[in-house]
Amino acid sequence: MLKTIIIDDEQHCVDRISKLLSKYIITLDIVKICTNVDDAKKAIELIEPDVIFLDVHLHQETGFELLKQLSNIDFEIIFTTAYDSYAVDAFKFSALDYLLKPIDEDDLYCTIEKLKKKTSLKDISKKVEVLFHNLEDRTTQFKKIAIPTLEGLSFIKISDIIRCQSDINYTHIFLEGNKKIMVAKTLKHFEGLLEQHHFFRTHQSHLINLYYIDKYIKGKGGYVLMSDGTHIEVAVRRKDDFMNKLSSI
Amino acid sequence: MMHRLINKIGLSILFLIISLISFSQEEVQDSILENLRAHSRKDSIRAKLLMDITKNMTYTNPEKAFGYIEEAIVITSQINWQKGTALALQQKGNLYYVMANNLEALDAYQQALKISQKLDDKIFEASLYSNLGNIYADLKENEKALEKYQVYLSMAKLLNKKSDQVRALVNIGLIHIDIEQIDKGISYFDEALTLSREENNDFFITAIINNLGIAYKRKKNYKKALEYYQEASELALIIKNKYIEASALNSIGKVNILLENYDIAGINGKKALKLAQEVDAVEWQADSWKVLSTVHEHQGNSKKALSAYKNYIQFKDSVLGEEKKVELTRKDMQFQLEKQEAIANTEIKRQSFIKNTAIAGSGLLLFVTIFGYILYKKKRDALEGKKIANFNTKVAETELKALRSQMNPHFIFNSLNSISDYMAKHDLDTANDYLLKFSKLTRSILENSEKKWITLNEDLKLMELYIQIETLRLKKKLSYKIKIDKDIDTVNTLVPPLILQPFIENSIWHGIGKKGSNGHIQIEINKENETLVCIVEDDGIGRREMTNIKPDNTSLGIKITKSRLDIINQLKETNGNIKMFDKVQGLKVELKLPLELRF
Repeated sequence: MLKTIIIDDEQHCVDRISKLLSKYIITLDIVKICTNVDDAKKAIELIEPDVIFLDVHLHQETGFELLKQLSNIDFEIIFTTAYDSYAVDAFKFSALDYLLKPIDEDDLYCTIEKLKKKTSLKDISKKVEVLFHNLEDRTTQFKKIAIPTLEGLSFIKISDIIRCQSDINYTHIFLEGNKKIMVAKTLKHFEGLLEQHHFFRTHQSHLINLYYIDKYIKGKGGYVLMSDGTHIEVAVRRKDDFMNKLSSI
Repeated sequence: MMHRLINKIGLSILFLIISLISFSQEEVQDSILENLRAHSRKDSIRAKLLMDITKNMTYTNPEKAFGYIEEAIVITSQINWQKGTALALQQKGNLYYVMANNLEALDAYQQALKISQKLDDKIFEASLYSNLGNIYADLKENEKALEKYQVYLSMAKLLNKKSDQVRALVNIGLIHIDIEQIDKGISYFDEALTLSREENNDFFITAIINNLGIAYKRKKNYKKALEYYQEASELALIIKNKYIEASALNSIGKVNILLENYDIAGINGKKALKLAQEVDAVEWQADSWKVLSTVHEHQGNSKKALSAYKNYIQFKDSVLGEEKKVELTRKDMQFQLEKQEAIANTEIKRQSFIKNTAIAGSGLLLFVTIFGYILYKKKRDALEGKKIANFNTKVAETELKALRSQMNPHFIFNSLNSISDYMAKHDLDTANDYLLKFSKLTRSILENSEKKWITLNEDLKLMELYIQIETLRLKKKLSYKIKIDKDIDTVNTLVPPLILQPFIENSIWHGIGKKGSNGHIQIEINKENETLVCIVEDDGIGRREMTNIKPDNTSLGIKITKSRLDIINQLKETNGNIKMFDKVQGLKVELKLPLELRF
């Protein structure tokens, strides 16, 4: 049984999540429901929960502020939010779990299954650290990304990624200092996360960090020479967008 | 037409001679005609029969064959048998070609080529390149001819068709000989010869050796030329090809005249004449008579020389008729060109005179002009800037409006109302399902609204979700089907987000919603060259009965779609469009978009 706290400032959200969680009564034990940051802080310190369901917006404050006030985080966090793409991106970068409201039962089922395995608990404080790192200032770009590798989660500075190359359902990530990691995620996944930053998908199988381009060699689509010495092709159809993006950084 | 063929050989494009195999097979023709009369249904069988007849008549009665082939073209297009249409067009080209109407032939071949390129039948396509090459070679458009033959050659290589490679190589070689690049020509012949030997094709070997003789004669290497001609004539005798034999013997005669061996020239000329008469080949007869006339002249037999010369002229005239026609067209074109150049030249002279005399005055004028231009440019730039700004505003406004139409308040509140209705009726599961779908769609719309293009795959998923939600609202059976052309890679194809949504909305709200019974929507995505054709079809009440949609006052959503399409057209220089068709029951909307691929 996992000791669970639900933190949400709106009663109907609390009711709905409680109702949905009632299906998982064998796994989760809802010990406390909090509607503001102060109550939640006290409850967490007292109860030492295994899991919290944490709404991003809590009156005038945020769930992030609550986490910041805690000295030690050794419980699972499931964020809940109705619509906040910036926060959702931050969760994705930090590999933190989240549920979108209204909560879909299938999504919840997956989350509970993950909770049962308790696999992510060992990294939780690291994940939260990355989250804060990325959220430091809402105007700048994210700095770190959590990448699940064979050995476990790796937290990598985005600025260290030179390029990503697809290999069917895997992605090879090439890092500064001749390092390379293989991830069991598609290149599309990384494109979704990184393209809003200084990354560009030049080709079906290549996503590159624009800061690592040494040279662009003109041609039909042309190709770029990366600082690690690799030649990366630019697809003909991507050329115009590529030039636009290059000129915007 | 006989002349035309032989003329071909005379111009040493020997390989058309192959077509002679089908010479006047009248019995066969009669039996096909009988079949044709028995089979009056306009289907592919009749089309094939028509083509067979045409093939048989091509060299014997091309004028009559036109009627048959035109019918074949009509039938094949009606039954949408593309390969058939292309084949028929090729035959039409052959007819024109035999009748020396090069331009019409060119047109027919090109039409056939255009169709064949869609068919992925490389062998057929290659044969059309060969046809086109022949025409250009005839018109002495050597560069174009070379280009077509080169395509023919590379296709033949790709398909590993040895005999086609030989044809292409020989024809390319002949053009090189024609433009005095003789060594290059010879090397092509040599390559062709090696291939023919590999294939043991005696006819090709013989013809190529004869061509090599021609090439060396051009090089003034008479010894070698004679060797090749000799070999060609001997081989021709073995394979019983009197055309080549006559041609080779005549050539031996001509070379010997140049070498002043009149006796040998005379013997060969006579042999050639006999052969040419046997096969009724007019040009060879003319050639032989010319050889004989020269020989008699040098042997001091002026009477014989004169009569031979008369014969020569008589035959030559009939041969020349065709050649002259081609030559005249060509000269006429050249004349027109020169005339234009001359006019242009005088104009240049005249203007430089005026310039010289008016140079002082024009200085002032120039100054004023420049000053005026600067003013004009300033204004123009301002206008241009305004245009761009207007365009950008239009883009922004349209994007906003598109979002607003996708998030149609009607849709939102009707959905909410419907959910509430389910709840009131205690169907909580359906209400819940409805709500989740609704929120999923809303989220996707908001997320995608800032994107200009999303993959077709994602967009179709959204459309499905939308239809599912509306099915829940309508509470009657609304079925749908999405058909995608198998050539479309939905993950790599891009479309503007939710571009089809207004049409689906229209179909559901106005078409099917107002109909008493169940409805069906079909979405079809096809590819036509560089265009993506999206079709939304319903079996609703149709436009005629829609009271709130007048033909010219279409719904807001569709108006916005038009506006989005305008912007795409302007940016991509394409002409995407929307067409609506009234069906017996329901409406069909066809949206054409430029095919955008991600990679």
